Amino acid sequence: MRIATILPREALRQRMVKPYQVGATEPEAKLPPYLESFLAHLRLLVGVPFEYLVPDPRLLPTESIRFFYLDRSWTDRLVDGAIAVGKIGTREQAHHQAHAPAVTQQLDITERVVRPLQRRLGSFGSLKSGARRDSGDIVTGFLLRSAAVAGWPHMDVRAYRKIIPELREPGQPPNPPAADPNDAKVRAQQLLTLRLERLAPAVLFALFEGVPELVVLEEPHHGVQFGVREINGRLRVSQRDSHGSQLFSPSHPDSPLTVEVPVRRGGKNVIGVAQLYKKLQQEPSIPPQTGGGSFALQVLNPPWRQRFEGTEDHSEVLEGARSRVFVNVAVQVADQTVQNSFLRLIAIHR
Amino acid sequence: MSDELKPNVGEMYLYDVMTPPLPAGSYRLDASTAVTIGADPQDLSGGSGYFDVVGPRFTLPASEVGGVFPPHNGRGSFSHSIPHIALKRRTLPWERPLNGKAPSNPDPPTGPPPWMALLLLEEGEYQLLESRPLQEVVGNEAFQRLDSPQGVRCNAVELDAGLLDDILPSVEELQLLTHVRQVNPEDRELSAVDSDGWFAVVMSNRMPRPDAECRVCLVPLEGRGDPVKPDPPPVDTGFRLDIIAPFGEPEEGLASSERALLGAPGGEMILRPMGHASFFLRKERLVLLYSWKFFNEGFASFRELMQRLDVAMMGTVRDDAAPKVADTGHLPVKLQNRDGAEEHVLYRGPLVPFPLSRDPLGPYHSADQARRVNAETGAEDVSYAAAFETGRLLAAADGRLGQELLRWRQDAYRHSVRADEAALIVRNLSLPQALDLHAPLVPVVATRTMDRVLEGSGPRADSYGLRPIDKVPGLNPAELRQAWNLSSDDAAAAILGKPGDSVTPAVEAPAVTGRAPTTIDQVASTAPLLDHLDRARDRVLTNVRVRLEEKP
Repeated sequence: MRIATILPREALRQRMVKPYQVGATEPEAKLPPYLESFLAHLRLLVGVPFEYLVPDPRLLPTESIRFFYLDRSWTDRLVDGAIAVGKIGTREQAHHQAHAPAVTQQLDITERVVRPLQRRLGSFGSLKSGARRDSGDIVTGFLLRSAAVAGWPHMDVRAYRKIIPELREPGQPPNPPAADPNDAKVRAQQLLTLRLERLAPAVLFALFEGVPELVVLEEPHHGVQFGVREINGRLRVSQRDSHGSQLFSPSHPDSPLTVEVPVRRGGKNVIGVAQLYKKLQQEPSIPPQTGGGSFALQVLNPPWRQRFEGTEDHSEVLEGARSRVFVNVAVQVADQTVQNSFLRLIAIHR
Repeated sequence: MSDELKPNVGEMYLYDVMTPPLPAGSYRLDASTAVTIGADPQDLSGGSGYFDVVGPRFTLPASEVGGVFPPHNGRGSFSHSIPHIALKRRTLPWERPLNGKAPSNPDPPTGPPPWMALLLLEEGEYQLLESRPLQEVVGNEAFQRLDSPQGVRCNAVELDAGLLDDILPSVEELQLLTHVRQVNPEDRELSAVDSDGWFAVVMSNRMPRPDAECRVCLVPLEGRGDPVKPDPPPVDTGFRLDIIAPFGEPEEGLASSERALLGAPGGEMILRPMGHASFFLRKERLVLLYSWKFFNEGFASFRELMQRLDVAMMGTVRDDAAPKVADTGHLPVKLQNRDGAEEHVLYRGPLVPFPLSRDPLGPYHSADQARRVNAETGAEDVSYAAAFETGRLLAAADGRLGQELLRWRQDAYRHSVRADEAALIVRNLSLPQALDLHAPLVPVVATRTMDRVLEGSGPRADSYGLRPIDKVPGLNPAELRQAWNLSSDDAAAAILGKPGDSVTPAVEAPAVTGRAPTTIDQVASTAPLLDHLDRARDRVLTNVRVRLEEKP
C-alpha cells in the first residue's frame, strides 16, 4: 500500500493555519470565466425577477419614470447567495470567507463588461482586458414605464455627471452643438451605461456608474426627419437659423419662436405649403426664403431629446408625518417619562 | 459647389434646386469646322449625329432610392411627420419639364418646378394598377405631349379626381417640397453609405392621420400640367361648418370644397355649378414611380409621452390607496414564518431613493445570517435575506454554474495539497529554495536527488550484520572487560584468545591426486586405452540401438 506523502494530521494543521487554501494572487484562485461573468450579471440584477426590484406595481405607475440608487449590499448578497451553492462544510465556508474581498473587487471591474457582452461586442476575455480597473463607484439608474418604450424600441439613453446645456444663444455657430454626444468634451462627462434593457415591452431599465446630474432620453434616429409640432392644439414649426438651430424669442430666452402651419381646407391633413412659405418669408429672424432648401430647413424635425436634470437627493428630506408610518419605538422606550409611567402601570395591576 | 464644401459627419448642406447640365431628351449634335488659309475660307463638310440623354421616366429602380421616411413597413406614431424620399440622383427631379402653368406669385421660389410629387394616400383612397400600357394610364392628350413613347408599360395608382385635387401640390409647392441635400459620405446616420453624399429629397405635403395605414407614392407629373394647379387652394381659417351634402350623398363622398364656411368672419361659401358630381366621381390615374407603406399607430408622439412622464425618485407613491412606503424605502409585506404563522416584515428592493453605504460585514454564508431587526420599529427586515435566496436560486438553476463553482474550489484545494507536498519535499531534500508550484516538480526533485547521490554516501553500511555480533560480550574484549570488570582490554583479549594462540591444531588441506596429462597420440599408441575407447563406443552404439528399438 502507498504511504501518503502528507499525513492527514499535517494536512489538517495546514488547513487550520491557512484556511484560504490558496492565496488570492495565485492563478488557481481566479474565478472561472463563466462563474465570473454570471456573478457580474447578477451584480447588475440580470435575471432577478421584477417583483424583487419593484415589490408593488403601484411604485411604478404607467407613464412614469423612477430614478434610484442601487443598493450595493443587496447585490453583494445576491452574489453571496450564488456562491453558497454547493457549500457543504466549513472548508467551503473558509474558502469563501477568505476570497470574498478579492471576488468583490474583481466583480466591481467585471460588471463594466456586462453591457458590451450583452451587445455581443467581443469575447469575455478581450472585453475584460479593456475594462477600466479602478474600484467600483455608486451605481444609479432609472426604471421607465411608458408607451414610448414600446413605440420607440431603440431610444438613445445617456447620462452625464454635469448638466450640459442645449445650445440656446441665437446666432452662435453650433460647431459642435453643446449637446452633441459625439463631441469629446461632452463625451468626457458621460457616465458609463452599465445596463440598458427592456424588462417588459413597456418597461426600460437603465444603470449608470456614478451619480448623473443630467439624463437624456433621445428619440431613435431615422436619418433626417421633417415634421411639425402640435402646440395647444395648433400645428406649428420652429423657426431655425441657417445652421438649423432652433431660434428663441429675444425677450423670453426659454420660449422658442414658432410659426403656425396653415392646413388646406378639406380635412385631409394637407399642409398649405405655399401659404406657410409666405408666412415664413415675413419672419424677420430666419434666413431669407429662396426655395426648397430653405423651406426644408424650417420643417426639420430633429429627434426629440428629453432631458432630466438635477436628480434630487432625498436622503435628508423627510416628507412629513403622513408618509412616516413607523413610530420611533426605540427612542420612545428610552424616554424616562415613558418608562416611569409604564412602571406605575405595572405597579397598579400587581 | 466646389469640392471644399464637404460637410462634416453629422452635418448636411441644403440646396434649393439643382438643374442638370442637359435635360433628358433626344439631341442632335452638329459639328462644323471653320478653316481659313490666307483669309481664304476653306469649305469643309460638317457632320451631325444624334444622342439621347436618358434617365428614369416611367419607372424608378429601387437602387435609385437612398432612403425613405417613415420607414418601409414601419409602425409608430408618425402623426406629425412629413413623409419624404431621398433619391440618389441629385438632379433627377429637374431633369424633365413639368409643362405647368406659371403661378401668379410675384416672388416665386427659385429654379424650375420639379416633375415629380410625393403623395400620401390612406388605405381605401387608392387602387394600385400593375404593368399597364402608358397610354391607358395618362390618357391620349398627355401621351402625345410625352412624344408618344411606344411599348411602355408602367405601374399606376388610381384615385378620385376630387381627392387628387385636394392633396396635389401646386406648381409653387412642388418647388418648395423638393430640395437637394449634401452629407458626408462617411455618415452612416444619414444613410449616405455607398453614395457620393448627394441626394435629391422630395417631401409630401400631407401628414398621416392617427391609426391609418398609409401608402406614400412618388408620381411623375411630366406633361401632366392639367391636374397641377398654378396656385394652391385656400387654407382652413379655423372655422368650419359642414353644409348638408347635395344629392343626399354621404359626407365622405364630398370633395373638400363642398365643406363651405358659413357665418364666420373670414369664412366663405363656395358655390359650385350643378353637375359637379361627375367631377368628383371621376377617377384619375397617375404613373407610379415608387411607393411604400407604413402604419401610423399610437396616439402620442415621443415628445408628448416624454413631457407627460411622472418623474420622481423610487419609492414615491402618488396613489393614496397604495402601500405606505417607509422613509427608509421599506415596504411592509406579509410573510409566513417557519412555524406557518403570518408575520409582518419589511422589504426593500435593490433600487433605493438615496445612496447607501456598502455592508462591510460580508460575506454571508446563509440567508438567516442576513436577516435583520430594525432597531427603530422592531420589525424584521428580510431584504438582504431575500437577496441571498434569490442569488442562490438563480445560481442553482444554472447547471453549468454549479460545475464551475466546484471547479473553482477544487482548484484551490488541489493547489493547497500540492503546496503542502512541495513544502515536505523541500524540508526532506533540504532544497536551497522553495519550489515553484506552477513549474513541473519532477525535474527539480530528480536533479536534486541525483546531486545528493553524487555527493558520496558516507560510511559503508554493515552489510553482513556483523556489528550486532560484535556487540556480544563473548566476542568483544571491551564488552567483556566491562562485564567482568577486568583491568584492561588486553586481559580480556587474553581470555578470549588472540588469533595464533589457538589451542586447536590448524586444519590441513586434503592431498590432491595427481593425473598426468594425456594426448590423442598417447591413447592411440597404448592398447588398454584404445580398448577402453572401443568399449565406450560400443556402449554408445548399444544405447542408440536400444533407443531406436523402443520406438514403435
